[in-house]
Amino acid sequence: MKTIYTLLLAAISLTLFSCNKETATTQKEVIQNLLVNKNWFLDYSITKGTSSTTPTVVKSYVGQSTYFVTYLKNGTTKDSDGLTGTYTVEIINNQSQIHVQLITINGNPFEVIYDIISVGDTKLVLSKVINAGNPTQLFFTNK
Amino acid sequence: MRIIGLFPNRFLLLFLISSLSGSLLTAQTLTKKQKDSLYLLNPSQERIQKIKKSFAKKFVNFVGNDISLYGGLVLSKQTINDNGITAPTNYLYNDLNTNSFNSGFNGGFRIDGIYKEKHRYTFSLGINRIAAGASYKNIHSLSPFIDDFTHFKADNVFTTFSFTAHYKVLLPISNRTKYKFYAVAGPSFDYKISRISNEQLMNGAGNRAFLNADLGAEFDNKGYYILFAHYKLGKYLANSTVPVQLNRFEIGMSIKSKDLF
Repeated sequence: MKTIYTLLLAAISLTLFSCNKETATTQKEVIQNLLVNKNWFLDYSITKGTSSTTPTVVKSYVGQSTYFVTYLKNGTTKDSDGLTGTYTVEIINNQSQIHVQLITINGNPFEVIYDIISVGDTKLVLSKVINAGNPTQLFFTNK
Repeated sequence: MRIIGLFPNRFLLLFLISSLSGSLLTAQTLTKKQKDSLYLLNPSQERIQKIKKSFAKKFVNFVGNDISLYGGLVLSKQTINDNGITAPTNYLYNDLNTNSFNSGFNGGFRIDGIYKEKHRYTFSLGINRIAAGASYKNIHSLSPFIDDFTHFKADNVFTTFSFTAHYKVLLPISNRTKYKFYAVAGPSFDYKISRISNEQLMNGAGNRAFLNADLGAEFDNKGYYILFAHYKLGKYLANSTVPVQLNRFEIGMSIKSKDLF
């Protein structure tokens, strides 16, 4: 009888405390779901100055819809400049990134990595990873 | 930890329930072989008898047990603290923050009895369908672009399996031979059995088990039925990066099963 109680207790404990089912891909899946199948229109680009005396450059494109980019569910991307390619959502050192591999109109390969500052249903903020100087932050909306 | 990953909770629970219920099932039509085996020593029946005897011995002081079925309305609101979220997600605050009590429902059965002819108690098992309003504690902004947002989106509709143990105190109100008013208090436990969304699981925020502190009042109408109103304040049993406080009001009725069937 004691064995039955012990087994019952063990099974219940296992059921109760093995509650977290987060996997390595959970965060990537959430970001991917927020990102895909939308036209992201560029509203602002902000580049901070390289020194304290250099001013921050803020460009507003609100209402102009001059540039947009789309990330499709099948892992491909295209933008309004005619660039096409593939992308992957990655998490490197706790930083979520979009790794984009593009082909220019001339057929040349071209690689860009964006840090994801914030992603939601309607708002997206990316920061272009560059080797030198301050990165440019890009503010997109899909409405 | 690997074993936990290999065998999902719901299968363990199903296995447990099916093995317990399976041992209690009896055949409707008996074959010749089964009829013969009735005269022989039946290990499973013997085991059940042993369990019954063991229960009777152990719970000898729990007397006057009445089994009732209950059902009710559940009004719920959850308070969410998303400070532990590191994922760069944004959800518009005004879209999620309802700051209201939303209605769900519950049902199950309860056992009312007296311990040592002195202490009244209620044990209940039930299922809750919770639709909770949400109150998000933190508001974030990303100037000049996003005004008010939260990093976390909590599941606001979910199902729990609950177990409750209440201590009842008879209140000196009205004619107690006819109508009885009780004050009740005690702990209860909820376990989410519905699917948890990826948004809720992110950054270790997901949690299935709630521990509640309950307080309430009950009205017993000559033993025909009981009307109850309970307040429950619940928190996650295990640590979470997003602590959630679940407030609930339960209003419902229970009827003795022997009066129903």
